[in-house]
Amino acid sequence: MEFLITQLAGFGGAFLALIVDPLTYIYLIISMLLGITFGALPGLTATLAVTILTGFFGNKVPLDYSLIALLGAYVGAIYGGSYPAILLNIPGTAASAATAMDGYQLAKLGRGGEALGLTTTASFIGTLIGSTALLIFVWLLLLLSQNIASPEKALLALFGILLSGTLMSEDLVIKGWISGLIGLAMAMVGLDPLLSETRYTFGWSYMLSGFQVVPVLMGAFAVPQIIEGMRHTQMGQLAELRGRITPSLSRVRQHLPTIARSGVIGTGVGALPGVGEDVAGWVSYGVGKSVSKESDKFGKGSFDGLLSSETANNACIGGALIPLLVLGIPGSPPAAALMGAFKLNNIIPGPTIDPAIILRVVAIMVLASLAMFLIGLFTARIFVKILLLPKVVFLPIVMVLTTIGSFSVGGGINDLYLMLGVGFVAYFMAMQKFPIAPLVIGVILGGLFDETFRRSLLISGGDLTVFTSRPIAATLLGLNLALVASQIPFIKRGFARLTRRA
Amino acid sequence: MLRARDFWGALVLLAASIFFLWRTFDIPLWGGNRAGVSNAEWYNSAAIVPLGIFSALLVLSVILLIISIRAGGARQALTSVGLGWDRIEALRFTTIAVILFFYIAGLVPRVDFILGSGLLITALTFGFHKGLPERMILSASAVAMAGLYAMTQHFPQAEWRAHDDDWVTLVLWIALTIGALRRARGDRVIRAMPIIALVAPVLLVCAMAFGFRQNVPNRGGLIFSQIEYHYYVTLRPLWRS
Repeated sequence: MEFLITQLAGFGGAFLALIVDPLTYIYLIISMLLGITFGALPGLTATLAVTILTGFFGNKVPLDYSLIALLGAYVGAIYGGSYPAILLNIPGTAASAATAMDGYQLAKLGRGGEALGLTTTASFIGTLIGSTALLIFVWLLLLLSQNIASPEKALLALFGILLSGTLMSEDLVIKGWISGLIGLAMAMVGLDPLLSETRYTFGWSYMLSGFQVVPVLMGAFAVPQIIEGMRHTQMGQLAELRGRITPSLSRVRQHLPTIARSGVIGTGVGALPGVGEDVAGWVSYGVGKSVSKESDKFGKGSFDGLLSSETANNACIGGALIPLLVLGIPGSPPAAALMGAFKLNNIIPGPTIDPAIILRVVAIMVLASLAMFLIGLFTARIFVKILLLPKVVFLPIVMVLTTIGSFSVGGGINDLYLMLGVGFVAYFMAMQKFPIAPLVIGVILGGLFDETFRRSLLISGGDLTVFTSRPIAATLLGLNLALVASQIPFIKRGFARLTRRA
Repeated sequence: MLRARDFWGALVLLAASIFFLWRTFDIPLWGGNRAGVSNAEWYNSAAIVPLGIFSALLVLSVILLIISIRAGGARQALTSVGLGWDRIEALRFTTIAVILFFYIAGLVPRVDFILGSGLLITALTFGFHKGLPERMILSASAVAMAGLYAMTQHFPQAEWRAHDDDWVTLVLWIALTIGALRRARGDRVIRAMPIIALVAPVLLVCAMAFGFRQNVPNRGGLIFSQIEYHYYVTLRPLWRS
């Protein structure tokens, strides 16, 4: 009880400091509008919104303010993805893919306004659930993380990459792993973290400091979207937005069990390292379909189905910040971009993070969810108008944005070459259905993995049992092995046989 | 089709992992002198993690190759299906690649950012709005000409402040805009394009340079140098005094 009171008091202080600062509102409202726009425009993603803002703010704007903008854009973009999902049957972001299943059907039935209003409310409650979990669990995990040393960190980083590769793959799971390994390999370039030995620099001094995170993020997430999006497309039929958007309290109360369940699922999925909002949406949708009273209506215009995915993807944000802040392992691709922002400001997320930053993050999340709720309810009809904007109009501007963002952070033309190179590689990978998120997670966690893995060996004198002799390390090693083993065909077949018998 | 593409992907990955494994052996592994530490043990080596990564990549690329061959990917690999592109798609990708390459490598370092970005926005919007091959080629040619001129005339960094390439880019931008407006009368997107191509880069570069105080490319460019001069000499004293 005392723990909870201390937490709430700390949060109250951070929230008060936030709301009395007029600059907060300027950063929050602008970033929220930008985030919703990015989410609403198919082809632009939440990760891209956070990455571009990271490039814009760099380390010239105090982290306190850049965090407001980054989290505001993150929350806004995940929510904004629901607009085209409901009205165009095209998810604005991958996180809203499940939303389109029921949202568009409801809009076609003339209940688009109601669907949008309930979605806004559910996203708001979902973000609050995620933020509450962040406030509570981050501290419990921080206490636990005191026992986490190099072996555990190395295995956790590996687990994050493997899990991300496994769950983010649309096609074969090994494609996700290959993607993660390519990211890890990219992180090996430059001076090694323990002995400053040069690796794969090919005599180019720029490579000594390794690949910078922001150009890699820009290249991986922006350039493929630009290449893919620059084509003539017939826009879909925009469903008419009929009915009142502001939902009635009774309707919200009616769906509250679905919203609460989906919020918890979204937070849980988000807390898994490297797994994003899209997985949270689908998992919650799947669970909703199996437990809902109106499961037969799922896919044909069910409010339960709509709210299952929309609550979960916003709740996932708070969940994704838990491993980021506690362990320095991003819980989702946009959280990976946030990690880039932390690094630019010389803040290393993990057990040694300043607790005041965590409280501020939670306070920003709560304020951002409130801003999203109000902006969403009162400006929805305006945002609907941008849905039919052709990609050839906004993608060239995104190219200019990413170019100037990449250049400003590193201050060099070489970063632009890196961005373009990574972009083309990512485009070809995406064409072959290799997921891009594990690559980025690999780049971000590669340094941590390399350093902690080798430090473990160094401390133990090369004794590999250092990874099995500690309980948490042994558990993590078991999880890593189980994850790999679960994809080996004969083990899969054996497991399937066992479950059939059971 | 996907398995045919996987066949090529696996071959590329296989070659890359073998190449980087070979390069990894340049890093001392057993008992070498590492960063001044002689006779170090194997577990000190900076090669240990990269070796693991590229070995795993090699194994996974072999598995991917086997999967693609079993699924018939190798048989289709040399067909247009296997390559994944038809003629129009190949042209679309090539022209976008040309535009992006000359923008990043030629224009951004050497030409005024507003001019270079204006040309880029015009080229991408006009070239790909309707998906017509001749427009794609025209747009790519305009950016390639501007980029090529800048690269060939002012390749070394010492010459990046020269302004003749700015003028060439400006002329090409105006010519492309006029050509686009004449060809696409009544098209709302093309009519809005010149305004977007001018306003977006000006706003972005000014916000970056004066709002966020970030570094921006080519501060001495034809237009930006004038904006910067008037910001500090004409405008800023107004509110500072």
